[in-house]
Amino acid sequence: MADLLAILSQGANGLAAHRAAAQTAAHNIQNVNTDGFSRQRVELEAMPAEYLRTNAYAGMGVTIGGITQSRDAFLERQIPSSMAANAQYSAESQSLRAVVALNPEAPGGLSDSLGNFYSDLRLLGQFPSQPGLRAAVVGSARNLAYSFNRTSEGIANARAGIDARVQSNVEEANALGERVALLNAQIVKSRSTGGEPNDLIDERRNASDRLSQLIGATPVPDADGNINMALPGGAVFVSGQKAAKLSTAPDPANAGFSLVQITKVGSLTPESISSASLGGEVRGFIDARDVTLKQTMDSLDTLAFDFANVLNAQHQAGFDLNGNAGEPMFNVGATSTGAASTISVNTNLITDNKLLATSSSVAGVPGDSGNALAMIATERTPLSGGNNSASTLAGIISAFGSRTREAGARSEQEGAIASNLQGLRESVSGVSIDEEMINMTKAQRAFDAVSKVIQTADSMLDTLMNLR
Amino acid sequence: MRVTEKMLFNTGQVQTAAARERLEKAMVEVSSGKRITHAADDPAGSGIIITSKISQQRYEAIQQAVGRSADELNTAEGVLGEVSNVMQRGRELAMQLGSAQFSGPDRATSANEVDGLFNTVIGLMNTEVGGRYIFGGTQDDAPPFQADGTYVGDAGIRQVEIAPGVLEPVSLRADIALKGVGGGVDVTQVLRDFAIALRNNDVVGVQNALDGFDKSLNQVSGARKDAGASLNILQTSDQVSRLSRDQMKIQVANVAETDLPEAASKMALANTALEAALAATASSFKMSLIDKL
Repeated sequence: MADLLAILSQGANGLAAHRAAAQTAAHNIQNVNTDGFSRQRVELEAMPAEYLRTNAYAGMGVTIGGITQSRDAFLERQIPSSMAANAQYSAESQSLRAVVALNPEAPGGLSDSLGNFYSDLRLLGQFPSQPGLRAAVVGSARNLAYSFNRTSEGIANARAGIDARVQSNVEEANALGERVALLNAQIVKSRSTGGEPNDLIDERRNASDRLSQLIGATPVPDADGNINMALPGGAVFVSGQKAAKLSTAPDPANAGFSLVQITKVGSLTPESISSASLGGEVRGFIDARDVTLKQTMDSLDTLAFDFANVLNAQHQAGFDLNGNAGEPMFNVGATSTGAASTISVNTNLITDNKLLATSSSVAGVPGDSGNALAMIATERTPLSGGNNSASTLAGIISAFGSRTREAGARSEQEGAIASNLQGLRESVSGVSIDEEMINMTKAQRAFDAVSKVIQTADSMLDTLMNLR
Repeated sequence: MRVTEKMLFNTGQVQTAAARERLEKAMVEVSSGKRITHAADDPAGSGIIITSKISQQRYEAIQQAVGRSADELNTAEGVLGEVSNVMQRGRELAMQLGSAQFSGPDRATSANEVDGLFNTVIGLMNTEVGGRYIFGGTQDDAPPFQADGTYVGDAGIRQVEIAPGVLEPVSLRADIALKGVGGGVDVTQVLRDFAIALRNNDVVGVQNALDGFDKSLNQVSGARKDAGASLNILQTSDQVSRLSRDQMKIQVANVAETDLPEAASKMALANTALEAALAATASSFKMSLIDKL
């Protein structure tokens, strides 16, 4: 009688175990599209057998040994750094690809304006006193200055746009850092009560993956079950159940663009952190902003500065239609800093194109074009970099294109590696609906069978109870 | 290797997106005819486009400037041809009127024609092309010859760039061609002296004028030859500039423009690849145990 009651009791355990298996399969199926979800499985274990007599132990049914996740620690350790590298080059490549100011075929671009300026100067050289040709040269000079301004503005706008993304990434990283620290606390607490909080672990992994993408932080597990997050330069971003704080501040040495700072755990003072100590998207954005685009901007400034000074020197060596020595043709600052954004044509020349100094001597006014021809010759004058203006411009465009292409190629390489690793992780941890349907059917069948066992035991009990 | 639903969907998503991107890129290339839309598409090619387009503009401008100079020089040559005709008429008159069969009144009457020839030469030498007095040297904004034949232009020679960095003189010095600076004869003075000799019935003076006319004709003829030589140079420059400009255009086209048959073939290939990716994706989605249970 007692054994029959034990069967009923075991049956209840069995039903619970298979119901849990079905529930887990259902949970897996429902999370088939959840990012970062690792499939769970119920570990069924046979209950310790009951001693009946010598050499006779009776089985006591089934119980739940635990609900575990399918994960591959080897793969998972490689994924964060791979995701960070992919995110870094992808962010850099996309940022640079979005800059259209330096397109070589852009109509009305800098190369067209430079070519037009010298073309108009050539026509003026043929007939220097012709008012229409003088007006054309002043107009093309203004257009060239405007092209410098517009190209510079395009690059500056791109840098400002990237800067805004750095700031938003920093804010997102802070929220995720707090989240990882909070999840660390919840996971440690859950484990202390004996359970394995699988879904919290998945959520923490999602947050840490995104942190890797945003700032290149990599997870470092500790003995207490926390995941600490370290930045590529070694700074600790999440330490156990506390997170450091990233912030941005305008950098006067870098045109007021954001400098990233970190306020470490236990400190109240923000410290600046170099881009080399960061990774992920933030590093990619900063590299695009402060390396490629800044170098391009500096080169453009130097070109505008050198070009204006060479032209001015030659223009001032000539004489205008009034017989006076030429004034500077272009306004440009004392240094190359910001020259492309500020270069403009001398307003006196705009007001009165007779001030164009085309003659090489006072006696030659108005028909002598000696100085106009000398200004045309500045087209071949080597600038500070050793090349003439057209070659310098071509070099700037090529260098920008080359760096953009390099970032794109690295993004593709890192993307392929990251995609492969994520595919392998998905293969281990992802949910297969076919598999889960089979598991569910398997649990259902077992559930049905255990129900039959209970029914049979109940019938046996009835038989016993009805014995007269 | 386990294959999960997410892997299937991800693969489908990535592959069809990549195939669509390739197709879109091929379509843009075919429809725009451009191979390079961003410097990163071909960094070295982008640099070549910049320098080649600037070179193209340079040769176009040289061609235009040379063309305008050639027009002026052609006009100058034509004007000198007319001056030669005038001087030839003067020479004929000197030949006729130096003869004893003509009387003083005959000569005085002919002096009026010579005055007309003088004025014609002055008018011709004050020819203007596009607002420029082409015989004034660098003083090209006012008539270089005054009514009395005084030259108020200068000895300046205008130059034009016939190839990058190469300058060629493209104006004639009227002070030499007409006024005989540097050892020649003053053509206008020859006419004036001839007219005076006619009015004074100075038969010897009239006969002596022949020598002046011969020298004048040689002098003007020499200037015309110089103009002809310069015109040949300008014509050569025009052809070379045109050729160089066309070469630069071809260079830009080779680098920047797409090879349409190749691009169309790539587009067809991308289209097929997209169709295949869509079919494979749709097929992989169909196979599920859910439909069989």
